[in-house]
Amino acid sequence: MASSSQFKQLEKLGNGTYATVYKGLNKTTGIYVALKEVKLDSEEGTPSTAVREISLMKELKHENIVRLYDVIHTENKLTLVFEFMDNDLKKYMDSRIVGNTPYGFEMSLVKYFEWQLLQGVAFCHENRILHRDLKPQNLLINNKGQLKLGDFGLARAFGIPVNTFSSEVVTLWYRAPDVLMGSRTYSTSIDIWSCGCILAEMITGRPLFPGTNDEEQLKLIFETMGTPTERTWPGVSTLPKYNPRLPQHLPKDLGALLQSQTREKMELTLIDLLYGLLQLNPDRRLSAKQALNHPWFAEYYQ
Amino acid sequence: MSDKESGGASAKHPDLTEDTKPDTGEDPVPEVALPNDFSQCPRTDLVILISRMLSFLIRINDSIPKDNSSELTRFHSRVPPQISVYDYLMRLTRYSSLEPAVLIASVYYIDLLSAMYTAFSLNSLTVHRFLLTATTVGSKGLCDSFCTNSHYAKVGGVQCSELHVLESEFLKRVNYRILPRDDNILNCKAERREGLFVTATYAKENRGPNNGFNVLDTYYQKIIEIVGSYDSSPDKTKRAHYVMKTPPAPREAEAPKKKRAHEESESAGSQASSSCKKPA
Repeated sequence: MASSSQFKQLEKLGNGTYATVYKGLNKTTGIYVALKEVKLDSEEGTPSTAVREISLMKELKHENIVRLYDVIHTENKLTLVFEFMDNDLKKYMDSRIVGNTPYGFEMSLVKYFEWQLLQGVAFCHENRILHRDLKPQNLLINNKGQLKLGDFGLARAFGIPVNTFSSEVVTLWYRAPDVLMGSRTYSTSIDIWSCGCILAEMITGRPLFPGTNDEEQLKLIFETMGTPTERTWPGVSTLPKYNPRLPQHLPKDLGALLQSQTREKMELTLIDLLYGLLQLNPDRRLSAKQALNHPWFAEYYQ
Repeated sequence: MSDKESGGASAKHPDLTEDTKPDTGEDPVPEVALPNDFSQCPRTDLVILISRMLSFLIRINDSIPKDNSSELTRFHSRVPPQISVYDYLMRLTRYSSLEPAVLIASVYYIDLLSAMYTAFSLNSLTVHRFLLTATTVGSKGLCDSFCTNSHYAKVGGVQCSELHVLESEFLKRVNYRILPRDDNILNCKAERREGLFVTATYAKENRGPNNGFNVLDTYYQKIIEIVGSYDSSPDKTKRAHYVMKTPPAPREAEAPKKKRAHEESESAGSQASSSCKKPA
């Protein structure tokens, strides 16, 4: 295992959910790394986020998942040594705002990023791991156009039957409707909803459902996707926070809605994929594997 | 229950009852059928079974003569604590709201830690600190609902700073590999051998069903097999023979992939530190 003297600490890259991240240089190899410093709390000891992030990421060696190289212990902190990435998707999108107008990515880049996102998610799911916090800030990119999943602090294994599943997961804008309504039996479909929101955001440069609280978040989702009923989503009325008095909205034309916010022509297969990822009923959402086999990605698997 | 909610004494525990009666030695020992799915198993019964398992192991490990050079670990107490294994585990389960998966994972963690840390063996001096550490790590690593270390320490009767040290020691010794999977101990050992934090020769393709996460089911079955009988263990907390509602399929019928898990647990530790192996 590495010692802290092996790395030269460079500039601060940001504050994560439970840690501070610095750029670092491995003095022996000359390779840049990201050093995530976790303070050991006097009440908590090793934060559970760190325990999960380390134990889960050790299992995930994939080109679309940020690699965890090592963990360094010092007196009152833990330092996680990660693969260095130049940027994250959120900052990259923000850098493209001209004046006050956001611009989406070129469609070829949207496709390449979404493909890599789904590859990373499919690998997590194959390994019985849910990420549970997919959002542009947690998708890291580098100058080669590679995209990798990072920040597994909210992730968990789903093959172990445990009775407590938190519904306080995923940043609001990317949280699935079933989770918003208090479902605790969610599975891989929770990550797929986020992949759909991220896809739409890359197209337009704007978050698809930017709610400010749970109630508004559901309202925004239903205004666009239609209010679910027992017919369209059997079992919806049994969810803990289901509200039978919700205004009934009919689904809008998602394709037209997004097309009005981008100059590039959206293919019909892309719109079909968006509908597959953004199914309100979690059982009807595509799996990551199915999404990768979708015709929109045909050029990658032909 | 929300994250980090202190699962304290006020929480209701319908499955935690203590109807334990002393053995009068007259009536036949009653049979208790347990569900096949351990997450549905009443926790009182799980705690009784695990206490039997640990007492059974402790009796064996305590009887092995130690030379003076045998190393003390952070898990050692100077003298055996007064509280019985059953009372201690029941206390942790009740006041820290331990889930069935965490209770069974603790038994798995005996094998894991013994395999990675030869100075450690489960005995009457180490069992209490081990259980406190294993249940703390299991709750924080596997569940969405868990407490702070200061809470766990208070329930377990150690200083919070000591629990921090124990937790950190455990995580370092097992290289943070706390996910109970078929190949976990093999991967841990590979990392030790290669001197790497993450093994380069990761044995993933040999995982059994559910991507190797059936290891806790296997442990649950084996615990019932080994100490289900009332006569099998020195722990006489409850006069009952435990059996599974539907006995698991015979070993031979299982897929060859599963074999690995058994081989692994058999090679896991020397002596009786491997908890799910019947010592001769």
